[in-house]
Amino acid sequence: MNNMDDKLQSLWTEYREACPDPDASPDFMPEMWRRIDARRQSATSWFRRWAEVCVVAAITAALVMSTVVIPSYLRQPVYEASYVDVLNAAETSADGMAVLVGDIE
Amino acid sequence: MLVEFELIERARRGDDAAFNQVVQAYRKRILGTIARLIGRPEDVDDVGQEVFLRLYFSLDQLRAPEVFEPWLYRLTVNAAYDYLRRQKRRPETRMSDLSEQQVMMADAAAGGKFQTEETRRAKIRERVQSLLGHVSEEDRILLTLKEVEGLSLKELEQVYKVNENALKVRLFRARQRVLKAFESEEK
Repeated sequence: MNNMDDKLQSLWTEYREACPDPDASPDFMPEMWRRIDARRQSATSWFRRWAEVCVVAAITAALVMSTVVIPSYLRQPVYEASYVDVLNAAETSADGMAVLVGDIE
Repeated sequence: MLVEFELIERARRGDDAAFNQVVQAYRKRILGTIARLIGRPEDVDDVGQEVFLRLYFSLDQLRAPEVFEPWLYRLTVNAAYDYLRRQKRRPETRMSDLSEQQVMMADAAAGGKFQTEETRRAKIRERVQSLLGHVSEEDRILLTLKEVEGLSLKELEQVYKVNENALKVRLFRARQRVLKAFESEEK
């Protein structure tokens, strides 16, 4: 068994010698940089597209809020009566709070 | 380390010239490892470029320049493994093609000594690739890194990010399988 182990070990060594480190082709570096640039550009264009989608979504949301949501809130008065009316009503009636919701004029 | 930490640090900060120097320093070694892992010389450059491409885009994740080499080996192993999975072909077939091609090259060459030496090398390559065909792609890569590339268990631990005992068990099993195939070939 040990003998086989040793033989296998020497076969690994022979294999290492039989497969020396190859030299890179002359195109290796230019091609590598071309691939890096291509990946960089695709990442940038993806980010740009994503940013554009975000900008469009933000503008749409702003438009919807300014034309539909905010005006609808502005049209609804919070109180039906003024502060002076409330004070008057409070003096004359115990149910002063009813003025607030418009039950008493 | 084949380069100074400072050069790796510069490359990590986005200095393309520094990155170029790092690639040039490690290129030959990495291409050699890839050649022995995938066993197909015509694709070595392609896989090598993929390794350095992955390195370029992951350098910012490198915690410290001291772990650069295991990091680079990890990228190499992953790229080689991805390649082997894509190919889905057993390496012994590829190596048979290679040896035939090299024998033809050797025949064409005038020197008889060169021919004999190249034929011997081709036979060794073919034999080892055939033996490694008895284990899975993962174990084939692990065994090659340990036995052929000469990585220590500590280095393999950093490459694979698993503990030493798990690696020892896996290596032992893979080695036993190869040894069994080797013994039956010897008989």
